[in-house]
Amino acid sequence: MIKISRLGLIHGAFVLFAVTLVGRAAYVQLGQTARWRQAAQQQQLVDRELPAMRGAILDAAGTVLVDSRELVRLAIAPPEVRDRAVLADALRQVAVPEEFVRRATDPARKWVELPGRYLSTDVTALLAMRGVHATSVIERVPPATAGLRSLLGTVNRDGEAVGGVEASLDAVLRGRPGRSVLVRAGRVGPLSSPEERFDPPVPGHSVTLTLHQGLQDIAERALADAIGSMRARGGDIVVLDPHSGAIRALASRRADPTASGATALTEPYEPGSTLKPFVAAALLELRRVTVDETIPTFNGKFTLNGRTIADVHAAPRMTFAEVIQYSSNVGIVQFAQRLTPREQYAVLRDAGFGMVTGIPYPTESSGRLRPPAEWSLQSPASLAMGYEVAVTPLQLALAYGAIANGGELLEPALVQEVRTAAGRVTYRAGRRVVRRLMSPATARTMRGLLRDVVTGGTATAADLAVYALGGKSGTARRTRDDGRGYETGAYTASFVGLFPADDPQLVILVKLDDPKAGYGGLTAAPVTKAVLTAAIAARDAALDPSTLAGPPVRPVTAAAGTAVASGTGPDSSGRGGRAVTSDGASAASGAAVEGAPVRLEEPPLRGPVAFDLGVDRRPTVDSLPPRAVPDVTGLTTRAAVRALHRAGFRVVLTGAAAGAVTLPAAGTVLPAGATVRLSSLR
Amino acid sequence: MRGRSILLLALLGFLVVATGVIWRRGVGLAQARELRTLRQQRAALTATQAALEGAIRDASSRARLARTVESALGMRVPPDSLVIRLPRSRPTPPSP
Repeated sequence: MIKISRLGLIHGAFVLFAVTLVGRAAYVQLGQTARWRQAAQQQQLVDRELPAMRGAILDAAGTVLVDSRELVRLAIAPPEVRDRAVLADALRQVAVPEEFVRRATDPARKWVELPGRYLSTDVTALLAMRGVHATSVIERVPPATAGLRSLLGTVNRDGEAVGGVEASLDAVLRGRPGRSVLVRAGRVGPLSSPEERFDPPVPGHSVTLTLHQGLQDIAERALADAIGSMRARGGDIVVLDPHSGAIRALASRRADPTASGATALTEPYEPGSTLKPFVAAALLELRRVTVDETIPTFNGKFTLNGRTIADVHAAPRMTFAEVIQYSSNVGIVQFAQRLTPREQYAVLRDAGFGMVTGIPYPTESSGRLRPPAEWSLQSPASLAMGYEVAVTPLQLALAYGAIANGGELLEPALVQEVRTAAGRVTYRAGRRVVRRLMSPATARTMRGLLRDVVTGGTATAADLAVYALGGKSGTARRTRDDGRGYETGAYTASFVGLFPADDPQLVILVKLDDPKAGYGGLTAAPVTKAVLTAAIAARDAALDPSTLAGPPVRPVTAAAGTAVASGTGPDSSGRGGRAVTSDGASAASGAAVEGAPVRLEEPPLRGPVAFDLGVDRRPTVDSLPPRAVPDVTGLTTRAAVRALHRAGFRVVLTGAAAGAVTLPAAGTVLPAGATVRLSSLR
Repeated sequence: MRGRSILLLALLGFLVVATGVIWRRGVGLAQARELRTLRQQRAALTATQAALEGAIRDASSRARLARTVESALGMRVPPDSLVIRLPRSRPTPPSP
């Protein structure tokens, strides 16, 4: 029998213990590798999401309208805080409300989210304290004006786009957040490590709109002034380029502060007499009428199917041209009878009424245009006068664009270009023709008729001294909010102008909701004139100076009379212009309406004016042609700056490093001497 | 004696290597802190710049400026008859 000594037993126990330890260590190291590695990573590493910088929104000239900035949101873990008094002082220094200071220093609470967002440099002292946790967030710097804010929409605290362009283009603007694994480093806080995972955030694309900020400011101010002075409930202004469909300005305003958004796209209305030119164009196109054809207008009262139609400008007869010039309801209703209901419906449908235009805006309205099967006996006459049809201001402006550009209805463009942060173009708007609405000859004839409306018809209040303006005024009764009938004494006044009349560069639609100052020719037309006057005087208002420079484009005409009021009928289109005599000729009225704008007669310019400046003309920066921003991808900062200087730009460095990008992006065409920002992606 | 010397040298070598690792790690941590601070400063400065540029855009916008120059300086938007646009001539290309 083997005798085991006491010492042997102890040795054996130690050996067994050692073997067990080694075995256990081997099992932990080899058998539970993944589990313990994961546990270690959870203790030592922290996974953070890196917010992506939302893309900028720029106007057509490259001016930044909306930008983003990175701020921090703070949260306090009170149990981790060591010195509560110091923390409370630091919180008060950055104006944290006293209630949250009390909560943040209450050890009974586990987690307190502080309201507001802070610049990280403002809260440096706080960030160095234990128990203070920061999260990076992207905040939108809003556009300057209220009109742009309502059009472009906003981004809420959670980074979600709310309304407007921000919502409709969210997919391209928001970018893709990145991820970073940080190493916990005790009191220092988490630090980045080159050995850990780092997926950089991808910034959102920048979106260049077709809007022109200078023109937008002009339109918004003119609208605000008009609503204030005429005590209107609201209004809209749309300015677009009829040759490309590009929207240059879009101003909407409501007296009701709760109303918001771009109502020029979302709120349809009955356009009244501003619809007459499309009926007239269809009649001309189908050769059912000639411009000088005469029709009896029964001194402004005409009964059709038991309904009395009235004119403001009473005359026994009018030519087709005068029907448009003086906006005769009696005349247009009779001429429209030469169209079948299907033809009348087709011309309005082809003009884009009753369907969305396709503009990238979340809640665009299609308006309303009923098919002939749903028409009543009165419908053809009502439609000829602009009733029983609801259009948005944008739809109507686009339809007038067809008259301006020679007959083509264009798709509207609000987005001119989309670029990645590196400057690569991913989308560029082109001219998209929806359909031909009328022949170039008919469009030319219509432009002539519309010019007569301004020079001697219902909208003389819009007449400019030098440049010729064409257009059509309209005044329509307002429907009640419940949709049952019309409001008593409430009108929608509007005017659509083509500037310049012969070869329009801009279509301007002004709509005022229930102005207390009269009809469209007296209310909306002067607003159009105010917008154009400011645009002509501005250097940066989307007008082509080469076309406008030189001799005046306006033909010399007889002095137009001042406005005169002569009627109160709901279908009247304006009170401006001259009274019509019994033989259809017009005679200037000397009586001006109280409150009506007084037009100062100025001597017309006879030709180009030469100025002796007394100095030699030298090429200046302004005289150099615009040029594209060069691509500096991959260049060092120094090389990038040199490349930009060589290209003729001023350079502002904003945290540039190797791999910097330019703002505006490469390829953007800017005037020589413009400032280009050079900044790094990260 | 020889074995003890080897052990001593090995311990000294371990001490030197360990000191180097700790020193290197310390330097790395300091640089990482500095880098983080600089990134925060850059983000803050960029944010301040964006805010200031927004304020400049707001202050220099026609919407804000026009009312001020009209009330304070008595300036007015001129009628179109008083605006003369001088044709802009293209610069002649440099001769070869």
